[in-house]
Amino acid sequence: MSSGHVRVDHLSITFAGKQGPVTALAPTTLHLAPGSFTALIGPSGCGKSTLMNAIAGFVQPAGGAMTLDNTEITGPSPDVGVIFQQYALFPWFTALGNVKFALKRLGLPRAELHDRAMAALEEVNLAQHAAKFPGQLSGGMKQRVAIARTFAAGPKVLLMDEPFAALDAQTRIVMHHLLTDIWQKHRATVLFVTHDVDEALLLADRVCVMSQAPGRIIRDYALDLPRPRSLRAQADVLLPIRDEIITLLHPTHADA
Amino acid sequence: MADVPQPRRVRPKLAMGLAGATGLGRPLLSFGFILTLWIAVTGAGLVPEQIFPSPLSVWQATVEMAANGTLATDLAVSMRRAAIGFGIGSVLGVTLGLLTGRVALVRALLNPFLTLLRPIPAIALVPVAIVWFGIGEGSKYFVVSYTVFLTVWFNTHHGMEYIPDIYLRASRSLGASRMREFLTVVIPAAAPHIVAGLRLGVALAFLSLVAAELSGASSGLGHRLQEARQYIRTDRMFALLIILGALGATVDLIVQWVGRKLVHWQQG
Ligand SMILES: Nc1ncnc2c1ncn2[C@@H]1O[C@H](COP(=O)(O)OP(=O)(O)OP(=O)(O)O)[C@@H](O)[C@H]1O
Ligand SMILES: [Mg+2]
Repeated sequence: MSSGHVRVDHLSITFAGKQGPVTALAPTTLHLAPGSFTALIGPSGCGKSTLMNAIAGFVQPAGGAMTLDNTEITGPSPDVGVIFQQYALFPWFTALGNVKFALKRLGLPRAELHDRAMAALEEVNLAQHAAKFPGQLSGGMKQRVAIARTFAAGPKVLLMDEPFAALDAQTRIVMHHLLTDIWQKHRATVLFVTHDVDEALLLADRVCVMSQAPGRIIRDYALDLPRPRSLRAQADVLLPIRDEIITLLHPTHADA
Repeated sequence: MADVPQPRRVRPKLAMGLAGATGLGRPLLSFGFILTLWIAVTGAGLVPEQIFPSPLSVWQATVEMAANGTLATDLAVSMRRAAIGFGIGSVLGVTLGLLTGRVALVRALLNPFLTLLRPIPAIALVPVAIVWFGIGEGSKYFVVSYTVFLTVWFNTHHGMEYIPDIYLRASRSLGASRMREFLTVVIPAAAPHIVAGLRLGVALAFLSLVAAELSGASSGLGHRLQEARQYIRTDRMFALLIILGALGATVDLIVQWVGRKLVHWQQG
């Protein structure tokens, strides 16, 4: 069974600007091992979302190659799930309806479709809110529905672009636990963009740091630590890395 | 600075009372005010009754038209024309709007032309309609459905253009086919604009219908208005105008209510 091996080789992306093409992503190489959890961190505008949108099949590369399990990525596919910062739930469907949307392509019988969608909502502790519309849910609940919906489609790769940036600190901690649990159960390959160094260190097996725009990956840390993690309990490993990353992200901090 | 207590703005008593009037209170207050003004002006005898009739004679004219049966027939005829014209125009408008919004070829072929048609007022079309369809029902359906069509098309198309990209991205990466995306993502996403277009269409249906009935019809509220002009019956004219206003407002309220049920997720 193929399992979510992402290879991005010398990928570059340009957008048409007013004064000619703008480089949004300098040639970047990134390989994601099947079932790994990689955090991507970098200054604003360095191209993190652009890289993610390329792997999701939303934008076409200017150069280089991208493959998933040795098949070229040419457009969006249910093998590559995406969690958006703005949730992207369909407001005209209930929470349950949103999850069912992801399951439709499997052509299940009605009862099974319903049961599987309910089970997916149960996984994110939202079964009792199944009949609510997104407009009736809090930010954290919306993102939980989005996570349930995306996992329901059975992706091999999961791309998350600052998924918890809009949530308050406490909700974010809840979401970290929930994501870790679900991910350990489903084992998709995760690429997780964040601005929050601590979030990256708590969640990921690997943290990639990008440079200022046009970005490329300048540092790659492997984190082989058990979960659940805590900055305090694993301070001897995590804090030095944390300091390094913060320095990398603010190279001109002294003169700012 | 944030700790400094802001002085509380105290609203004058009258304004509070007015703002507090909710539901039926506010329109009733406004109608009462205008009616009083109307009674005062006509009661003072400043304007001849035949030019500017009093509320009482307008009421009597209404009763008269109701009693001789013309009111019911005119209402029925006009409503039927507006409804049929609206039905044809809105179905065509939504269908074509979805097509020009979705299919690049259809958009390229039709949009510039339809955009050019939009500024032409409905009234300007009446003579053409009469030549093509005579003064019977055909020309009314044509004028009404044409006006409704253009507005509904425009709003539908506009709604299709402003569908947030993120919905389409989410839909595609969840493996939806193009058909399922169209039916369960694109149409609902454009629905608020479509509903707004239909609401405008209803208002325009009445507008263009009366325009068509004023010149070249043998029945309907617009025709009755024109007839009242020949006999200089301003009391009847006023009665008909008020009925048209009430009718339009009622239908608009209904459409608004239905629209809110249809796009229940849309706030504000
Ligand atoms: N659709 C687009 N058209 C033109 N330029 C774009 C487009 N999308 C992104 N860019 C440019 O590409 C560069 C990288 O943008 P990107 O959104 O990938 O940054 P980011 O790392 O995700 O930033 P942030 O952390 O603020 O989200 C920026 O300079 C941006 O202005
Ligand atoms: Mg971004």
